[in-house]
Amino acid sequence: MRIPKLFIPTIVIASLFGGYFLKSAFTQPTTTIAYDQKAGAKATFIVDGVKCKGTAAFFTSLYDSVPGIIGIETFASEHKAVFTYDPDRISRDSIRTIMEAPIPFDDGTSEQIFKCLSVE
Amino acid sequence: MTIPRTRYYRYTIFIVILGLVTYLALGYGARSFEAYCPFGGAESLWGLFTAGEFTCALGPLNLSLMLSLLVLVLISKKTFCGWACPIGFLSELGGRLGGLLWKKRPRVPSKTNVWLKLLRYIVLVVALLFTYKTSELVLRGYDPFYLVFSGFGHGSAGIISIAVLVVLVVGALVVPMMFCRYLCPMGAVFDPLSRLGVIKISRNETTCTNCGNCGKACVQDIPVQQLRIVRHRDCTNCLECLDACPEKDTLQLRAGL
Repeated sequence: MRIPKLFIPTIVIASLFGGYFLKSAFTQPTTTIAYDQKAGAKATFIVDGVKCKGTAAFFTSLYDSVPGIIGIETFASEHKAVFTYDPDRISRDSIRTIMEAPIPFDDGTSEQIFKCLSVE
Repeated sequence: MTIPRTRYYRYTIFIVILGLVTYLALGYGARSFEAYCPFGGAESLWGLFTAGEFTCALGPLNLSLMLSLLVLVLISKKTFCGWACPIGFLSELGGRLGGLLWKKRPRVPSKTNVWLKLLRYIVLVVALLFTYKTSELVLRGYDPFYLVFSGFGHGSAGIISIAVLVVLVVGALVVPMMFCRYLCPMGAVFDPLSRLGVIKISRNETTCTNCGNCGKACVQDIPVQQLRIVRHRDCTNCLECLDACPEKDTLQLRAGL
């Protein structure tokens, strides 16, 4: 069967869009931390600085001993962190303050590594 | 010199994609430009199977794009490479520029060409093994896509990365599509399915005058004039051969096994 030439660019564009819209079928986190099993409120932060598994693990480690944090899922390719938290014990603003706090280094200096771009 | 119409379509798609990747690489958009690399889909498989998590900076888009492109290869061979891959585009431009620079371009002997093509399988195996072992994107330091668009960002290997890029740029001027032919691991992933691609170029032997224009026009150096059906794994259905053919309907795009 003869195929018109324009079929080729059409199918290329269709497959790229198809791949783009298919992404929601494969949503898996880069890291998952669950401090507790109970349910809580959800907050999604877009964080500049969460860009790979290493930075995501470091990011979640900031909340290791923070009361009220139930769990954190990070999605590095989207620079996203989804918090499950107890709103009676910690607020969204406090979660944001922790991530944006300057990180101290061994040489006595400190630097802000993570910056919150938006919260949902 | 007239530019074939199909090339206008191809280059328009290429330029749009190159523009989008540059836009993302400059830090605009919700995702990093790396999230759009289909080879990331292959690199993420081990992490997904073993831990249910994506490796390093990879995400669902890498995987969904790879799967979508594998379906595209089954339908229409390596069309992605010849119509949408930014590195394929830059390689092709390098090859065309090289064509203007060389009076008579040296050709890679056909036996050497076959052996050199095995390199891409070695690149694929090494890249996947080390990525799976370290959970790091080890190819970053040697990947022209990453080096160019990240501006030698995190993970690049300093002087080695610069040397790799210089070799690839100079190589593209000497051997057309050098990276795609010999080193691209995504091409190696596509290879087995590309032979099965349903849509292929076919040549009508009765009307063909054996002028050889189709073979000369092929950016992948496939001897189209010697084939009745182009099943070659490297064919990208770029349609340069169809546009170069002076005999009407001698080369056609056809669906069939």
